[in-house]
Amino acid sequence: MAPEAVLSHLHRADGSATYTYNGYSIIGAVNGPIEVQRRDEMPEEATVEVNVRPAVGVGSPKERHLETLLHRTLQSIILTRSIPRTLVQITLQVRSLPADDTSTGVNTSLTLLPHLLHTSILALLSASIPLSTTLTAIPVAIPSSSKSAPLVSPTANDLLRAKPLRSIHVFAFSGDRKLLLNESDGAFSYEEWDEAYEAAEEVCCREGGVRLGEGMDVDMDVDMDGEGKVANLEAWLREVVKEKVGREQRWRVAT
Amino acid sequence: MSAKSTVVLPGDEIPASSLPKSPNKNRPLTLGPGLRHIPPNTIATTVAGALATDSRKNAAWIEYNSGRYLPITGDLVIATVQTSAAESFNCHITPNTPFATLPHLAFEGVTRKTRPQLTFNSLVYARILNAGKDTSPEITCANPSTGKSEGLGPLKGGMVFKISLGMARRLLAGRKGGVTVLDGLSEKVGFEVAIGRNGVLWVDGGSVKTTLAVGRAVQEVDEQALGEKGQKKVVERVLKNL
Amino acid sequence: MPREAEVSVNERAFIQQALQENIRLDGRAFDAFRPLELTFGDEYGVADVQLGKTRVIARISVDVTTPQPERKFDGIFQIITEFSPIASPAFEVGRPTDAEVILSRILEKAIRRSNALDTESLCIIAGLKCFALRADVHVIDHDGGLIDASCIAVMAALQHFRRPDVIVEGEKTTILSIREREPIPLSILHQPLCVTFSYYEDGEIFLVDANLAEEQVRQGEVIVTMNRHGEVCQIAKYGGATVEALALLNCTSIALEKVREMSKFIQGKLEEDAKKRDVGGLMAELSAENAR
Repeated sequence: MAPEAVLSHLHRADGSATYTYNGYSIIGAVNGPIEVQRRDEMPEEATVEVNVRPAVGVGSPKERHLETLLHRTLQSIILTRSIPRTLVQITLQVRSLPADDTSTGVNTSLTLLPHLLHTSILALLSASIPLSTTLTAIPVAIPSSSKSAPLVSPTANDLLRAKPLRSIHVFAFSGDRKLLLNESDGAFSYEEWDEAYEAAEEVCCREGGVRLGEGMDVDMDVDMDGEGKVANLEAWLREVVKEKVGREQRWRVAT
Repeated sequence: MSAKSTVVLPGDEIPASSLPKSPNKNRPLTLGPGLRHIPPNTIATTVAGALATDSRKNAAWIEYNSGRYLPITGDLVIATVQTSAAESFNCHITPNTPFATLPHLAFEGVTRKTRPQLTFNSLVYARILNAGKDTSPEITCANPSTGKSEGLGPLKGGMVFKISLGMARRLLAGRKGGVTVLDGLSEKVGFEVAIGRNGVLWVDGGSVKTTLAVGRAVQEVDEQALGEKGQKKVVERVLKNL
Repeated sequence: MPREAEVSVNERAFIQQALQENIRLDGRAFDAFRPLELTFGDEYGVADVQLGKTRVIARISVDVTTPQPERKFDGIFQIITEFSPIASPAFEVGRPTDAEVILSRILEKAIRRSNALDTESLCIIAGLKCFALRADVHVIDHDGGLIDASCIAVMAALQHFRRPDVIVEGEKTTILSIREREPIPLSILHQPLCVTFSYYEDGEIFLVDANLAEEQVRQGEVIVTMNRHGEVCQIAKYGGATVEALALLNCTSIALEKVREMSKFIQGKLEEDAKKRDVGGLMAELSAENAR
């Protein structure tokens, strides 16, 4: 199943998105460019503020950690220099987590991270904040038994069944196939990391990089492989945007 | 423009074949909103939308209809006066953004003695004089070269309605925008409108009922993306209820 | 510090003029609510309320702790409201606005102090262990009427929530997960709901469920909380201008009618959801087996 995304559904925020996938449901909102507080103002750049709000309770160090990771990644793709002395405020409200989230025994901030990244990119696209590129992200888990292949984008259930796990990795790629973020947890060798990296790249990016004009006007092929997972997240993102543009341009074809 | 448009994501490079080819070689290519030039020869997008081109003007831009309004020189906006400084009013074009300045003397026929007294939260219809990214925007209610108001100035009475940025663009684009609802309504009822590119529509129809009917009709056309026939139906219904 | 954008003088004058002519901007009657929508999540205890453009999500969660020493036989129940910039750029993280303080105070009075939830039923071992229930109220979209919408969300979520079952053996307690045994609904004593009246023209005109623009123009508000049996849980009045006692009485009778409608609506949605979960009575069968 491809992730589900609803864009621009909130009325007050400048951009918003609800992202649902594998039991994760996150609401993201972007306000900006808006007025920045004097103490955060930067003369030649926009200030990026990320707020992660857990489904239950108020933010803890885990959320602060996620915010730092998101902040660094998103700041590198927002064209902050084109909107200097303003604030881009990204708020992510976790709505629900998979029921087995806490019992998988893996670092839950890592399994949540790719979904937060996807929600924020969707909300940023909805707010039409100038970006240098898009991003896609994915978790990869490596089970302890040496025989089994890395689990790409595992569900909480997959993780439970594959226990014990040796390591878990999160990769985020830009639209031009460059690695934007990598967070890994556990013990792993270089070879294992390489394997995980390749598997993640395969799922995130389209073969041969992004090119305008090729296959753009034909139906996007968000094909599913045997396990019913998205074959390509880049294509999925394009499909979501295509829907958004289609809705905006509705009036052109209406009678 | 055909219904089938090229959808672009931020970071996509626009190939030379998709850019307009002007017959006039001397006319430089103009990049509109959503596009940026990465030297030496790359044109890349910065927002998600549909690529639009105009070969006559040799221009390309990205059409999108979401997000906050960004001030662009020459745009007509409906701004809200917040405070009055020594020489100018501080206005909001959209809420929670830095102030735009509106000089006290930027109105038609105003002298130091007769400068307008605008209170907190009053509305002005103004044109953006300059809106560089390095300065706060400056707006004016008079054409700086002629000193004439050309329809700009404080808005008295009436009511404002929120519309999408795309709708505001369409309303100001005239026939190309494909909005006929106002023309249809104006055949039977009289009203005044002012359209701000910042997504604000001001209507004064003399009475509460007329104003509301006009404003809501435009909002309905906006939200449901009605075509010509749909708009005609709205007009008929609104006129019947009046 | 960011501030909520206020309505312009033109809008203010127009709304007031319209009210005098008996017209609301969205064409509603003076005593009509905006369309109410209520959905539940996949988990127990998540209620998503949409009231016009306003949207509030309430989420109930449970934990086990020691009861407060002065209340040995009671469990703990908390309602937490925190506004975030999702709802409006004017909301700042970690700095509560007046509206937020009023909202949490009203919810406290309306739901907690009116004993809507039987906290004694949350006690596991007196003085040693109890359930700590918390309701997180997330405001997602703000177009006025937050108090009414939040109250509906919290009450619906409470009724939807199921707490895990426990086994007590001496001083040892075992919490059984939802898989092991069918969880138990909370014991709700009554269902208080809030109806906010905004008044204009020195209390001459009352509006039910004002949207944000109407809220900004109003002179004051009267919040009536009552249950469907007509028992008033609290009345709060904010803002200037005097309101006559008779007008207040009138408010309560309108509120009762609204509360009855809303209770029925919530009940209907709860039953709908229960039916959806209980496909072919399979769950009931399973739970009976587990209990053995």
